[in-house]
Amino acid sequence: MIESGPRLVHSAPSGLRPPEHDLDYPNHEDGMSIGSGRERRRFAADIVIVGSGAGGAPAARLLREAGFDVLLVEEGGLHRTETFRTDPISSLQRLYRDAGTSSIMGRPPIMFAEGRCVGGSTVINGGMSWRTPERVLDQWSSEFGLEQTDAASMARHFDEAQRILHVEHQHPDTLGRNDALFVAGANKLGWRVENNPRNMHRCVGLNNCGLGCPTGAKRSMLVTEIPRALSAGTRLLSHAKVDRIRFRGGRAIGVRGHFVDERGRARNSGGRRLGKFEVEADLVVLAAGARHTPGILMRSFIFGGQVGRNLHTHPNAKVVGLFEEKIDAWVGAHQAHQIHQFLDDGILLAYAGVPPGILATGIPGFGREHGERMALYNHMMAAGCLVEDTGVGRVVLGPDLQPWMTFQMSSRDVETVHRGVRMAAEQMFAAGARSVLLPFGDMPELHGADELVQIDRRPRKRHNIELVTVHIMSSTRMSRDKRGGVVDAWGRVHGVEGLTIADAGIIPSSIGVNPMETIVALALRCAERWAEDLGRRRMRNPASPSPSTRAAGDAAAASQGSGEYAAPAVPGAAAASMTS
Amino acid sequence: MRILMHAIAVIRPRGGPFDAEIDGDVARGILSFLPHLPAPTRLSFPLGLRLLEYGPFLFKEGFRRFSDMDADTAARYLHHWERAGGAPSLLFQGVRALVLVNFYQHPRILAAMGVDWQARADERVAYRARVLRAVREAGGEQPVIAAAHGGES
Repeated sequence: MIESGPRLVHSAPSGLRPPEHDLDYPNHEDGMSIGSGRERRRFAADIVIVGSGAGGAPAARLLREAGFDVLLVEEGGLHRTETFRTDPISSLQRLYRDAGTSSIMGRPPIMFAEGRCVGGSTVINGGMSWRTPERVLDQWSSEFGLEQTDAASMARHFDEAQRILHVEHQHPDTLGRNDALFVAGANKLGWRVENNPRNMHRCVGLNNCGLGCPTGAKRSMLVTEIPRALSAGTRLLSHAKVDRIRFRGGRAIGVRGHFVDERGRARNSGGRRLGKFEVEADLVVLAAGARHTPGILMRSFIFGGQVGRNLHTHPNAKVVGLFEEKIDAWVGAHQAHQIHQFLDDGILLAYAGVPPGILATGIPGFGREHGERMALYNHMMAAGCLVEDTGVGRVVLGPDLQPWMTFQMSSRDVETVHRGVRMAAEQMFAAGARSVLLPFGDMPELHGADELVQIDRRPRKRHNIELVTVHIMSSTRMSRDKRGGVVDAWGRVHGVEGLTIADAGIIPSSIGVNPMETIVALALRCAERWAEDLGRRRMRNPASPSPSTRAAGDAAAASQGSGEYAAPAVPGAAAASMTS
Repeated sequence: MRILMHAIAVIRPRGGPFDAEIDGDVARGILSFLPHLPAPTRLSFPLGLRLLEYGPFLFKEGFRRFSDMDADTAARYLHHWERAGGAPSLLFQGVRALVLVNFYQHPRILAAMGVDWQARADERVAYRARVLRAVREAGGEQPVIAAAHGGES
């Protein structure tokens, strides 16, 4: 039987452990443990943040340090660094939404994966930390008219994001053979190779980034902003899924939702209902990602306009090179280099080491034919192109009341995918590959560089192309007014007081590079403004107590054990200590 | 279960290092996956398997069940599903992916392929701990844990 379930596996025989294995996560409550039956648990805070990934976690830390009582609500569980394993099956179930089986409908459909755990997708991403290209920032500033989004204005936010993420280059002793071949292929073609800036602290090249880094080297939110925020007094409520936003008089006053188990379901495997929760707050921050934030908005009857529109997918088409030599692509850093030379054409080239079970799903065929190819797994190198898309996508509410995504590639995108695949294949052959597997169902394999011309001749059909993405964005994008987007230049939802967004959804346009650092920088930038807004509001209404202060008063007045609000774990001294 | 077992038998790789008899484990692995899937997928999975079972006539394979087919005929029938496009292709790709992930990540298959990622993980975790300790003892940078508790990184 395949072994499954968490276990503590990682410690040296001497007992010496990486420091991340000893991190504290105070002020954490697990919804799986505290919720039950039809009971509705009530919480209060100055600010409730929905989602603990690249947007939510930095915002939580910054706002808490600004003196506010912050409650961070996360649908997934808190999985400690030392519980991460190399087995994709259990890891997908524990750390990924829908166990990694989500997809974006369209022609072609695009496989999509995102994290559902404390730390969000930063726990399971590849750890690439690129700034938004300046040409994109210029576009936001000039074409979109978004104030203070030009490169100069954004510089300090990127600096701060890189400090938080501890961005550094890969240590030379961690590079695998696949990296050498990637660089060699590029050099032979005269292409410039970029050294990846990555959010890590002395990565040792395990290449388990996509399933959680058990070494603790990857500076995900789980080991950076989450413990910082919690140590500073932020409260964390995990296994808590937000259903909708609460309003009073047109102003957002909190959220309500239900507790879920590890599978994301409202009843645990024993059939016990896990209960519901409600949060009262002066400011609601949605940071649930570019798919689920519009879902929450739509479930809260914020329909129409630009909500869920303008979705960009940054699709990735994979090629696999087969080499005579043994590569062991699973040994060595996940990805140390990229090629940005063709970014202006919308093409980014990169490689990655992928576990056999995951790579196998992208290898054509089944049965004996599949086995013959996969027998050469240790001679394979996976690479591909990421495409800066120009197509139109949308997030809609499905019949199950969950957000569904659609995306139609533009003709230009289809052309760019073909160009990108050709370049990636050409690079493989230049590096010495004897054959290359392609992401085209009707053209699965090329056996030499002389066959590359077949890609040029392939009709530009949208179907039969295998695409994946982990970089969706722009579904609640920034704009000057609500005709062009959902939030203003500071992440505040147009026309709704007390409601803000801090995730990839607010990115105004496709950025062409890995978006984590952009999300962190935008979240920090917006959170600074929210702290000022909330401070000014409190100054104007000094007699009006904050929700957490009211909750503390209510709890004191109520008879013991029947208080309506769960007592805040942190004294609600927000109003007194806030900055403005 | 009978349909799923037959699908596994046809889809799973054969030959060389892949002749291990682990179909039961693969089936159990797939069934452990299902509760984690979104409701529409989870609920439509058994329906999809039944379509696979009773669908041969759709592809001119006669009125017989998929699970009664011999290996070659079943493989030919699955190729029809693979190339059909639309929902049938998606269903086939879903089943195929579940079979392949659970097959190739089976410890016996990993061992046969010469991949021991978990042992490397254990070694790398210990290695990083030693490296960071050495850096600290040499008076290098402060341990990251201080930064994680609110200090400067």
